[in-house]
Amino acid sequence: MRIGIPKGLLYYRYHAFFETFFSELGSEIIVSEQTNKDILDMGVQFCVDEACLPVKVFHGHAASIKDRCDYLIIPRIMSICKKEYICPKFCGLPEMIIHSIPSVPKVSVDPLYMRNDKELFKWCLSAGSAVTRDSAAIKKAFVSAKKAQKKSRTGIIEPGRRLTVMLAGHPYVVNDDYLNMGIFNKLRAKGIGIITEEFVSDGETREEVKRLVKKPFWTFQRRIFGAACVLIKKNLINGIIYLSSFACGIDSVIIDLIRHFVGDFPMLVIKLDEHTGEAGVDTRVEAFIDMLERRVLNENYNPSPRECVLSGQNPV
Amino acid sequence: MRITIPHLGNVYLAVKILFDSLGLDYVIPPLNSREALSLGSKYSPEEICLPFKLMVGNYIAGVESGADTVLLVGSCGPCRFGEYPELQIRIMKQLGYDVDFIVLDPVQSIGLNELFKRIRKVGLESGKSALSKIGSVFLAYNAMRLIDEIEASAHAIAGYETNPGEAKNLLSSCKKEVFSCSDPVKAVKILNQYRNRIKTIPADYSKKPLKIAVMGEIYTVIEPFSNLYIEDILMDMGVSTVRRLTPTWWLKDMLLKTINLNSRELLKASNEFLPLYIGGHARECIGEAVLAAKEQMDGAIQIFPMGCMPEIVSKSILPSIAQKKKLPVLSLVVDEMTGEAGYLTRIEAFLDLLERRREHVCTRC
Repeated sequence: MRIGIPKGLLYYRYHAFFETFFSELGSEIIVSEQTNKDILDMGVQFCVDEACLPVKVFHGHAASIKDRCDYLIIPRIMSICKKEYICPKFCGLPEMIIHSIPSVPKVSVDPLYMRNDKELFKWCLSAGSAVTRDSAAIKKAFVSAKKAQKKSRTGIIEPGRRLTVMLAGHPYVVNDDYLNMGIFNKLRAKGIGIITEEFVSDGETREEVKRLVKKPFWTFQRRIFGAACVLIKKNLINGIIYLSSFACGIDSVIIDLIRHFVGDFPMLVIKLDEHTGEAGVDTRVEAFIDMLERRVLNENYNPSPRECVLSGQNPV
Repeated sequence: MRITIPHLGNVYLAVKILFDSLGLDYVIPPLNSREALSLGSKYSPEEICLPFKLMVGNYIAGVESGADTVLLVGSCGPCRFGEYPELQIRIMKQLGYDVDFIVLDPVQSIGLNELFKRIRKVGLESGKSALSKIGSVFLAYNAMRLIDEIEASAHAIAGYETNPGEAKNLLSSCKKEVFSCSDPVKAVKILNQYRNRIKTIPADYSKKPLKIAVMGEIYTVIEPFSNLYIEDILMDMGVSTVRRLTPTWWLKDMLLKTINLNSRELLKASNEFLPLYIGGHARECIGEAVLAAKEQMDGAIQIFPMGCMPEIVSKSILPSIAQKKKLPVLSLVVDEMTGEAGYLTRIEAFLDLLERRREHVCTRC
């Protein structure tokens, strides 16, 4: 049996799990290519116009492998942490694919809760039953998939020569080299250090969001907002580059929250959609880096809002 | 404590009756308008959805006229509506207004104790006895139910009336009269009268007007300003409309959700296409489309604010329903930039299409 796994959305975080699980079950795995122009075009063609860029790209990935596989894994990830969600579009992802792309093969439609092993195993049982009836084999594959997932890491941490920026944003935007326009290499070439939200622990972000009026109910809202505040507090970064996709509902909230809490700490928000040109992004990133350099190296100016964050008071 | 509320369709009438009968001090902000929208979009995050912006406009207008507390309902995900208070409290503070927010979140996420604590904050202000407070709540609920009923009958009869425009006029004079009446019991009486009057509008039931279901995101469907008064437009064109999402429906849905008995019919209808809750009212939208096809309506119009996450999912499913169930669907996306001319053209074109479809294609023979 050929299992198709589209390389989009939370593939970047959980690819080790899905790939190990299905290869242990003895099925052939077909992963779509790195995102490229063709995939993006296909996504734009099939997907509903109003959706955000990562969802469109995911449609492209699914469409690019649909004829080469018998079973398409479209994880309907409802939640990865207790009492938290990801995004409503994730909850309806299989439906979006089935109803937008013509002649898709069989698709995994069961909801996937990653809050604990029991619920995760439930999904594995139903998804694995398409491949084998042997539940002992599924159990074995599940255990080794969990092991593989534990070993794999996403996110990037690299020391810079003088400056370090936090690359904020959803992992499926930050880690996709086509969507982020190769921003890693651009920053590397300038000797800028990079850190992503994965390098701040869950506990620290949970502590940080206690300052909010309402407990956040999106995992990535807690992670990104919390990580940005922690990194600023620890004085580990000189600026934030936020890669946001146009019309992302969660980003519209996170960006505003970060702005409220960090005051005039340097933050560059890059909105991405299918029309984004690389030249414009380059110019803005370069200008931002120039500004950071002057601010930190020449004037030796330490922003006062950071002191606000340090003392825990709200600069609003 | 002077309370203000954000607008949502006719809810302000019921809230006025509630506060009048509880003896509370309140400010009802002026109805949504260009001013509220431009104020709101000036101070709101750029990419947030339209309801947020209108609500901020309402708060500012309310606080400017002396209110110091905002009362609103909330939710706890996964749609953006749940994060509204978080950002709105900050925005109001940043603008230098000293306002208190009382957010009534659903019981499932904050627990019964916390919810009662928040309700008590408002309740303590009223000097009435506990029994008469309960009476006030029922009076307000009754008023809301009556308003929704009057509105639904007006929308349904619009296609049949012998003197075009009568239902619309009656509806608007009803709203005006109730709003200017400060005696809650009398206000409910007025509503009762209007309910009877609207049923006796001379109508010719041999006509065969177009019947359209209005569905989509709950705020933009209910709040007439945000959808550019689509129901009035359709009434003027002699089209009968049906809208299932009303404030009364929402209230019932919220209460019954705690015991999982909410809107069985809609959910059952949506099972074929979207079997799970994904936040917002996407599932209800799908259910409404399926039911509209089942009830042999001529078409359906889906309205949602730009960037609404749940409705994007339902929009991608609707073409399948349109094809399988033979129901023409028009999706309209609204935001602060929506121009009236383009909007009207699309509605007119859609209605023309429905009329021709009826004449030419033997869809239902």
